[in-house]
Amino acid sequence: MATQPYDVLIIGSGASGGMTAHTLTAKGIKCLMLDAGPPIDYDHDRVPRKVYDLPYRGFGQPGRFPHVTQADEFNANVWADEKQNPYTYDEKDPYYWVRVRRIGGRTLVWGRASWRLSDYEFKAKDHDGFGDNWPIAYTDLAPYYDKCEPIFRVSGRKEGFAQLPDGNFIEDKSPDSASMQRFINAARARGVPTTKPRRATGSLASSLNLLLPDALATGNLTVVPNAVVRRLTVDKNTGLVNGVDFVDRHSRQERHADARIVVVGAGCLESTRLLLNSGIANSSGVLGHYLFDQFYVKGTVQAVVPEARDGKGGADLMGGSGYIPRFRNIDTKAQDFIRGYSVDFGSGGSPGAKYFPLYGESLQKALASHRGTGFDATTMGSVLPRFENFVSIDPSVVDAWGVPALHIQAKYSDNEFNMARDAMNTLAELCSDAGFEVLEKHDQMVPPGESIHELGTCRMGDDPKTSVLNKWNQSHDIKNLFVVDGGSFVVGGSQNPTLTILALSMRAADYMAEQMRAGNL
Amino acid sequence: MQRRRFVQAIPFLYSSPALLAQAIGKLDGAATDAVGRPLPHFFSATQFATLRRLSDLILPAIGESPGALDAGAPEFLDFLVGQSPLPARVVYLSGLDAMNVHATAKFSKAFAGLDDTQADALLAPLHEPWTWQEPTEPVALFLRHAKNDILTATMNSREWIAATQRNRGSAGNGTYWLPAE
Repeated sequence: MATQPYDVLIIGSGASGGMTAHTLTAKGIKCLMLDAGPPIDYDHDRVPRKVYDLPYRGFGQPGRFPHVTQADEFNANVWADEKQNPYTYDEKDPYYWVRVRRIGGRTLVWGRASWRLSDYEFKAKDHDGFGDNWPIAYTDLAPYYDKCEPIFRVSGRKEGFAQLPDGNFIEDKSPDSASMQRFINAARARGVPTTKPRRATGSLASSLNLLLPDALATGNLTVVPNAVVRRLTVDKNTGLVNGVDFVDRHSRQERHADARIVVVGAGCLESTRLLLNSGIANSSGVLGHYLFDQFYVKGTVQAVVPEARDGKGGADLMGGSGYIPRFRNIDTKAQDFIRGYSVDFGSGGSPGAKYFPLYGESLQKALASHRGTGFDATTMGSVLPRFENFVSIDPSVVDAWGVPALHIQAKYSDNEFNMARDAMNTLAELCSDAGFEVLEKHDQMVPPGESIHELGTCRMGDDPKTSVLNKWNQSHDIKNLFVVDGGSFVVGGSQNPTLTILALSMRAADYMAEQMRAGNL
Repeated sequence: MQRRRFVQAIPFLYSSPALLAQAIGKLDGAATDAVGRPLPHFFSATQFATLRRLSDLILPAIGESPGALDAGAPEFLDFLVGQSPLPARVVYLSGLDAMNVHATAKFSKAFAGLDDTQADALLAPLHEPWTWQEPTEPVALFLRHAKNDILTATMNSREWIAATQRNRGSAGNGTYWLPAE
């Protein structure tokens, strides 16, 4: 049976796959998109419900998601089933791999934080001597950030920080409450910068509503859900990829789709797994290595604003959120770590019952007294890319469709531990300076992977002997193969990576289209 | 004959699929917890009595707010813990047993029979400041989990939300993602 020819086959429908399709189809290029998950009708597949009407009163089905701390009983059905999609790790080094297998991918549930990287990341080695630089500079990607931010309607405030470049924002003019202003002043007095959050806005800010509809409207995109790609196939005569073998998720029928160009955008680790299972694009031997993410210390400090107790915290005093961009190792040098961390902070929440060493009526009184008095901060730290943090295929484990699973080996180093401790102490000092009472502080990082920011296992570089991709997200080994997701990162910084993934995939698609036009692909 | 006439009337009454769907939808009203009493079966009678007493201590009925017992928290936790992976079950089973052992050793009676002052002496770990590092001592570990679970099971209950929604209108509401298939 003849299959319809497409110019580009894209694997994955999330941020990177969606942006690639959005860019290519606008240029008249015929694209086929395969995604392992089912389609979603956002308005009808989500319904209002009372927590007591859920089978487990909001606790969720016990044991269903041992590695997805983001899962609750309301959103449980959006996350990839861990039994159908297994992976392995050494028990002493747990890794939390958090996946979504639905059209739109993880942009259905992302936190929307939209930060640019700077040359403190792109040229990180120049600053501290560790690891490698990216093969591109900030100026290479800036024009693409400029185009992505309006699509995702990013709000923010322009500050002029060298380590956190400004963008095309919907200007955030919201005032700061008095408690926020106190914290901001305390930070400023210690030389710690702050700004407003930079976030994608709108009721949904996903590939599903911002990228795929435009691409479909061109008539140049065909989306195929429930297509679990098993491997990429290679023409033995040319050495080029010529398509993919995939499995129908429901019928389990094996199929093959032809392609002139294959773009892998299934998410850093899923894309790496696919290339490893295909046995391609790894002449460097670094495919799967240099896995990193951002570490999180959730609730690094939990404080209360004393004046807000007993219902006295009105909107003037409490409420709002902010962000501390990286400030360590910019103008001064930290003693026991390189690079730095960022912090999300917010005012106006209610400290949980766990923070009060009470029970019974006295606990209920304390909770009532402290309602809306909270100030909390979460640290997000830069993780160093290290060769020894890597993924490989575990041939003894397969997923529900018989595709061999990943084994993940990753752990944090002293650089991250020291950074987390510095963040804890700094935030506690700032809270104290602001007149807040610190209920609890800690530096316990979540396990690697939990930030859902896995990066680096298909790294780009100028040297084919030490990198998988060139500076255009194109395989050094196979010129008609591109990897456009977070796998291409060389250094990640402490900023959430999605905006950079969007910009990189748009840039790669521009290059792809130009090369096709020139007859090079 | 009457039944036959009723069935024959359906196409007429619900000639529109939308009307039929609306009518069927009305049949899907009552939740099981509104009509059926839970039958605890995971914990032993002694363990369950300990859990009930502990639940009443952690979150008693106060004023118009229902307590953990009103919300059926112990019965719900019997269901939840019974379905949980082994480590969670061990925390509860060993913790409840230990509470009873300590109560018997100190006061010569079961935990369920202790008065508030006596019980408080055994709940000393709940007076310790909470830290991110989980305690290793079994009773302290159990009490840490039980406090959180009893509060959540109560505050997410129909009874609690009905009693408190006057003050917090959106309490208990959420957006539920339906299964993919």
